[in-house]
Amino acid sequence: MENFEFIEHTADIGVRVYGKSLEDLFQNCAQTLFSLLIDHKPAEKIEERIILEAETLEELLVTWLNELISLFYTYKFLPAEYDIAIEKDDKKKILRSVIKGEEFSPYENKMNREIKAATYHNLKIEKDSFGYKAEIIFDV
Amino acid sequence: MWDGPLEKITEYKFRIPKSYKPGMRVDGIIYADEKLLQDIKKDKAPEQVVNVAFLPGIVKYSLAMPDIHWGYGAPIGGVSAFDLDDGIIAPGMIGYDINCGVRLLKTNLTLEDAKGKISKIVNTLYDDVPSGLGSKGEIKMSLQEEKKLLLQGAKWAVSRGLGVKEDLECCEEFGAIEGADIDSVSSRAYERGKPQAGTLGSGNHFIEAQVIDDIFDMEIAEKLGLFIGQITVMIHSGSRGFGYQVCDDHVRVMVKCLSKYGINVPDRQLACAPINSPEAKNYIGAMRAAANYAWCNRQVLMHLVRESFGKVFSKSWQSLGMDLIYDVAHNIAKFEKHIVDGREKTLCVHRKGATRAFGPGNPELPARYKEIGQPVIIPGDMGTASYLLVGTKKAEEESFASACHGAGRVKSRHEAIRTVNLETLLKELKSKGIEVRATGKKTIVEEAPSAYKNIDDVVGVVIGAGLSKKVCRMRPLCVVKG
Repeated sequence: MENFEFIEHTADIGVRVYGKSLEDLFQNCAQTLFSLLIDHKPAEKIEERIILEAETLEELLVTWLNELISLFYTYKFLPAEYDIAIEKDDKKKILRSVIKGEEFSPYENKMNREIKAATYHNLKIEKDSFGYKAEIIFDV
Repeated sequence: MWDGPLEKITEYKFRIPKSYKPGMRVDGIIYADEKLLQDIKKDKAPEQVVNVAFLPGIVKYSLAMPDIHWGYGAPIGGVSAFDLDDGIIAPGMIGYDINCGVRLLKTNLTLEDAKGKISKIVNTLYDDVPSGLGSKGEIKMSLQEEKKLLLQGAKWAVSRGLGVKEDLECCEEFGAIEGADIDSVSSRAYERGKPQAGTLGSGNHFIEAQVIDDIFDMEIAEKLGLFIGQITVMIHSGSRGFGYQVCDDHVRVMVKCLSKYGINVPDRQLACAPINSPEAKNYIGAMRAAANYAWCNRQVLMHLVRESFGKVFSKSWQSLGMDLIYDVAHNIAKFEKHIVDGREKTLCVHRKGATRAFGPGNPELPARYKEIGQPVIIPGDMGTASYLLVGTKKAEEESFASACHGAGRVKSRHEAIRTVNLETLLKELKSKGIEVRATGKKTIVEEAPSAYKNIDDVVGVVIGAGLSKKVCRMRPLCVVKG
């Protein structure tokens, strides 16, 4: 089974993403995002470390995806491999990640589309006996 | 399918009563007719009108224009106004593309003059204007220069010879809104914005050469120097990555403001802060900087369009009469004076996919438009038509001086890709005499005319409701898509 499927949204792009664990879900969401942007398979040449904190898992997911979008368009960092750890308690959720990837310019290479941001609209992370599921609307 | 209550008030106006859901502070009002309403009910846009009605300090009603469709947070086509004492500002109700907008310029060329040259026009525009996915502009600038640009907007471009001062008079806010605060802009936004100044962008952004094929108000058309068979050019673009980063930075802050200020929202994309809070002040300063970035961007794009036409016709743009008619913002929040309960009040008006439509005599208008009202530019899809309207007093009284901003999508991008064949579409456009160039083939399919509502119907509602007056209709000749 694919890690994601499209969901209908009139103006933008909606996806439903699956993951066995929370970390797996966050990684699959990131991979889905870049698969929408580009067909290129990046090499693992450089490393970025990201630490993010949020009150809810949904907020953490949107912040994570928007951080990746921002790093890509600002510093041309295209991720290839993710090592993610998520800690959570009642008050806060923390994501620590080490990402390997390569420098890849969205301004000089063929892109499938532009994504402005991941939004909070209708965002939900759900858990069932198979694992986790998230629905995300990207502003395009 | 949305099955909530929609009460018919007039032929062009429907109400979602605030009794629909506990927590709604005002009614929702959707401008539409019975035909458009069928499409509007198909997605979740009406529920988004309802969601906006929950927000603190909302005044009169949560409005939606007839091009309303499902967005994120507020619907696209949404207009809402907030009291300065107890109201809020919400970045998600303005959108990531801050000051996405349209400008329209005229030429003294006729369809006859352009005959046989349409391919050359579209190819020159495509080659000379940076467009497409993540495109990079020709403008190289230091951080200091970028800061000046953020304060001066279109004036920055004009001061560098990319336009004339008359252009500024024909822009909303004269091409630069006051109160931009460069200290509220993150270094990330500066960096993300740097390579993209003077680029068109992708998605629904475009440059289109058109011909006026119908005139509805001869007197106003004459005053604007417009006539049947005349070539016009329309530019649709926004604040590019700079605006997206500003919005993202501040939505992150505002999500935390919800618990800080005890604000309940039905959708977290409506994250907001009280207008008088430090978080809101920072956002307003940064949003205005992004708005100025967008005005500068459209000014630079217009300069490139003028140069392209100059190349094709071997004449200067001045001798081609390429004067700007007007430039409007359709994703923005503005502090404007409106009448509430018989008294004038300053309100924070959010427009997300809606155009300001000041009527004749409005003190904010430049002298040349005081008598006729503000030009309202409504781009349609690439296969049909676009409209030039002017604002009315009734819009000032009823809709916080707002009108629609386009045709409004009716099909998702995904559905368009599934149902539209590129070759058939290009053939259809060609048979209508329309040439299209785009970096991404997918963009053409996603932006197919069938993905949009009928522009004549949408404009018909705006006119029927009295929110604007029709001036003329323009048919596309060639389109450059991002």
